Amino acid sequence: MSYIVTTENLTKRYRDRTVVDGVDLRVPTGCVYGFLGPNGAGKSTTLKMVLSLIRPTSGAVQVLGQPMTRQTRRDLLGRIGSLIEAPPGYAHLTGAENMRLVQRLLGLEDAQVEHAVRTVRMNDQMDKKVGHYSLGMKQRLGIAMALARRPELLVLDEPSNGLDPAGIEEMRELLRGLAEDGVTVMVSSHLLGEIDKTATVLGILSGGRMIFQGTRDELFAASTPDVLLDCSAPERAQAVLSRIGPATLEGSAVRLAGPGNRAVAGAVAALVGDGIGVHGVRRDEQTLEDVFAELTSGGGL
Amino acid sequence: MTSATVKGFTNEFAKMRQLGVVPVGSALLLGVLGLTMIAALGDPSFAEPRTRSWLPMLGGMSMGVALMSPLMLAVLASRQVDIEHQGQGWLLSATSGLTPGQVCRAKLVALGAVVAMITIATNVIILGVGLALGVPAPPPVGHWLAAVSGALLVSLVLLALHVVLAAKVENQLVGLGIGVLGTLFAAFASGLPTWLAHLAPWGYYALTRAAEYQGESVVLLLPSWPSLLGLAVVGGVVFALVTGRLDRQEV
Ligand SMILES: Nc1ncnc2c1ncn2[C@@H]1O[C@H](COP(=O)(O)OP(=O)(O)O)[C@@H](O)[C@H]1O
Ligand SMILES: [Mg+2]
Repeated sequence: MSYIVTTENLTKRYRDRTVVDGVDLRVPTGCVYGFLGPNGAGKSTTLKMVLSLIRPTSGAVQVLGQPMTRQTRRDLLGRIGSLIEAPPGYAHLTGAENMRLVQRLLGLEDAQVEHAVRTVRMNDQMDKKVGHYSLGMKQRLGIAMALARRPELLVLDEPSNGLDPAGIEEMRELLRGLAEDGVTVMVSSHLLGEIDKTATVLGILSGGRMIFQGTRDELFAASTPDVLLDCSAPERAQAVLSRIGPATLEGSAVRLAGPGNRAVAGAVAALVGDGIGVHGVRRDEQTLEDVFAELTSGGGL
Repeated sequence: MTSATVKGFTNEFAKMRQLGVVPVGSALLLGVLGLTMIAALGDPSFAEPRTRSWLPMLGGMSMGVALMSPLMLAVLASRQVDIEHQGQGWLLSATSGLTPGQVCRAKLVALGAVVAMITIATNVIILGVGLALGVPAPPPVGHWLAAVSGALLVSLVLLALHVVLAAKVENQLVGLGIGVLGTLFAAFASGLPTWLAHLAPWGYYALTRAAEYQGESVVLLLPSWPSLLGLAVVGGVVFALVTGRLDRQEV
């Protein structure tokens, strides 16, 4: 597989606080990479190092097959669109005037700017002052600024922040459309639900460390869902099972937290041995949400 | 200049729209013009066309520049820089290949060009007014140009100071407050011992006065070039150092 972004042991320390800790990113070319983590996990800091806007304390970044450094940054940034933290835009100027600033800096054609503006569906808003834009419009203008250069890589830091559900859905569609056009998209979020349906590869950051990186299926496979045991005497069953491991009562069933297959077999044997009838054993339905919450609270797989 | 710097410079002009450059620039122009006329018409020689002279006008012009510029330059620089803080402009430029230091240098050049245009316009108008009032002697072109260039140099140094100050200190009241203090210093500098006027850039306006009263009569003066050169060198080096640091600073 070819990777558009890789990092080796990427680390950032502020004073003696390690904010990003030995991160090895692997972003496959052509994917939508969902970069997840709770607030303060170090997502923005990592993305800024990928763009060489801040210097890593140690480690290295490779983007588009080249080392990303202060020396190579100028050329590489012309091929990367990005939106980090809050969306940019001069409030006293119109959307069109803002676009023209970017166009001049990067030497872009009118057609490129028009295409970008149409992609984010802002063509009717370009004569309004950015100061009068809603947050969603500012986000879209920011993405248009990033897109106008026809980037091979688009880096979006929490683009759905502050958007209403309709805006978030629109952002999803936009990202999917871009991916179909062959742009590799790296998008961060602190809410799994926002990028769950769009991202094909996920990276999960917690406390500056990468605790998971892979496809959605791999993420599901890597974590063990709870088991529910339906039995004839749930209260007694819970008492029996609590001797083996954590067990909670749930209606007429007992829930075992993330047991392996052998543990499940042991639990069934124990119940049967105690004369309790077991008429159902099933793995709980697990949402990606649960997996994410489990990972980020427990700190790893 | 690299092409990025030229593009940055053009963009700074584009950003000036709706930023109050015209009203602030007009205030500077009209203020200097007003003080020039007050000084001229207050001089007894202006009672009669035959005795009218350029000298009181030039003295008034120098005073007007010293009194008006410190605050107006602070306002111009602060507004031009504050939009970067407010609009995530530093990051936008950085991701489009222009470092914060380059942005600041582009701003200095663009604002400097605006102030130079205002200066030229002001002095052309003063020349026109003098001719219309029928000042009999030919204008003292050499002294006049020297004084105006000297004062423009001081203004450029002040602009540089305010641009980096506004970039480093997000609260723009700081820069404006310093502009007010600078106005006071510039107002009193002409009465201070020369060495004292050298201590802060605003004092150097006093070293560029075109004319001053000596007893009853007004005499022409030339700027003290070595001092101005010193100011330009110190200002240039400090600006280069600070913007160089901004280039390496993390955004
Ligand atoms: N310039 C800085 N100086 C000190 N600490 C910082 C700096 N930038 C970020 N941090 C800290 O690093 C941590 C990670 O921040 P950030 O990368 O913004 O997280 P995220 O984007 O995942 O919410 C936070 O605790 C933040 O306070
Ligand atoms: Mg962040």
